[in-house]
Amino acid sequence: MTDEAEILFALIRARYGARLDPAQLEDVRATVAGIVRDVAALRAASIPDGAEPAQPFVPYRSDA
Amino acid sequence: MSVAFRTIRELGADIRAGRLSPVALAEACLRGLETAGRRLNAVVTTTRGRALEQAARAEGELAAGHDRGPLHGIPYGVKDLLATGGGIPTTWGAAPFRERCFDEDATVIRRLDEAGAVLVGKLAMVELAGGMGYRQPNASFTGPGVSPWSAAAWSGGSSSGSGSAVGAGLLPFAIGSETWGSILGPATYCGVSGLRPTYGRVSRHGAMPLAWTLDKLGPLALTADDCGLVLEAIAGHDPRDPTTSDRPYRYDGTAGERRFRFAVVRGTVEAAEPAVRASVTRALDTLRALGSVEETVLPDRPYEPMARVILWVEGAAAFQDLVEGGGIAGLTAPEDRITPYARDAILAKDYVRALRLRGVVAREIDAVLGRFDAIVGPSRGVAGPRLDAEFRSAIRGGVPDVLGAIGNAAGLPAVGVPCGFTDDGLPVGLQFLGRAWEENTILAAARAWQAHTDWHRRRPPP
Repeated sequence: MTDEAEILFALIRARYGARLDPAQLEDVRATVAGIVRDVAALRAASIPDGAEPAQPFVPYRSDA
Repeated sequence: MSVAFRTIRELGADIRAGRLSPVALAEACLRGLETAGRRLNAVVTTTRGRALEQAARAEGELAAGHDRGPLHGIPYGVKDLLATGGGIPTTWGAAPFRERCFDEDATVIRRLDEAGAVLVGKLAMVELAGGMGYRQPNASFTGPGVSPWSAAAWSGGSSSGSGSAVGAGLLPFAIGSETWGSILGPATYCGVSGLRPTYGRVSRHGAMPLAWTLDKLGPLALTADDCGLVLEAIAGHDPRDPTTSDRPYRYDGTAGERRFRFAVVRGTVEAAEPAVRASVTRALDTLRALGSVEETVLPDRPYEPMARVILWVEGAAAFQDLVEGGGIAGLTAPEDRITPYARDAILAKDYVRALRLRGVVAREIDAVLGRFDAIVGPSRGVAGPRLDAEFRSAIRGGVPDVLGAIGNAAGLPAVGVPCGFTDDGLPVGLQFLGRAWEENTILAAARAWQAHTDWHRRRPPP
């Protein structure tokens, strides 16, 4: 596991560890490692500066 | 007269010719759901009272000359994430919600009511539409969905019952939902046709939210043509779902013979398991009789990580109270009780980065699709997983599904149709992925495919 994955796993263990047995914690650790790999791939992708999130937000007016 | 495996058009012709009564048809479907449907773990609730009332009304209206169109008197089922009023439970496939009822019907059900269709059942699904990270088929309080093609194989998910009820000939059509793979997957594994509409084409009001920017509702049926008939009935703007488009939709089922321009994305066929690859490769040869098939290359981008991050973050937010409150301990799949905790590891800026990349990808894929009628490829890279084994999930990263990641993240329509079988007799699917709002184009291509082949007319063993 990377340092980042270990730190994020520690956060989850702090939040939910009391609910999980050792085998379940290991499963969560593996899932976190996968998430960190996915996120690393995202961070490595080239995105133009002007690319905004593909997310519609429309200011609201009740009479519009 | 047997009503099993008859298309919407065929049943409609029988009804209008007086050879079949909507009430008798509804009764036959209810019997099928209660017997074979239960064996396949395809059914949560049959809606007998409502169905017979609707069927009798349809019968009376048609006899009086009031014809609501091709779905009038036709029975159907819905994935049990669509709300129903009238005291009919809506369980989301999850034990913690098995008693829960809503006050009113989802918009899709209301529109099908208006079209005269007859709701006969709420169909089984993977709990919470698979958004918790399940890794094996036993992930619903109704049991693992069974494929009509093999008692040892999974029906696919998360629209499990929608696929298997149609695939077993118990219903002419059903409504499913897709966030990533949940219509095309069960359509493939159950040997039927499934249409994932463009994001925003069909209202999700009254549907369980899993990932707000990915969720779509669509039909599973015996043919692509039937999928088009259903889409016309359920499509359209809904003020109660602000993501719906006001673009009108009319299904064009009369488009005649034409030549199509198909693209194959390099690497997508090769990545499939051998049995799927063989069937799809043969399918591509057949498609050359219908038009051109040209290989294309997409930019090297992290399509699947992008789609996963969006799905996982939105799913974590949609079920935040259930997860943080510990309610997931009541779910069926052991992995669904723990995997959601891991999603707290995704940082907000990485989710926003995925949304930014999504916009880039949407433009790039539109540029490709502007040159073709459809991208074709495997609907699923693997054939029906075994009921008793952990499967290789695209959402978990175990098997590549680039077309699924792009298609769902970019909100594009796709129709999946049968295109062959493995040596074990399990169905393989071919998808036609289209440009946004081009459902009629991909349905025309799929109809042409089904006019040239008979895979969709093969029937599972009794």
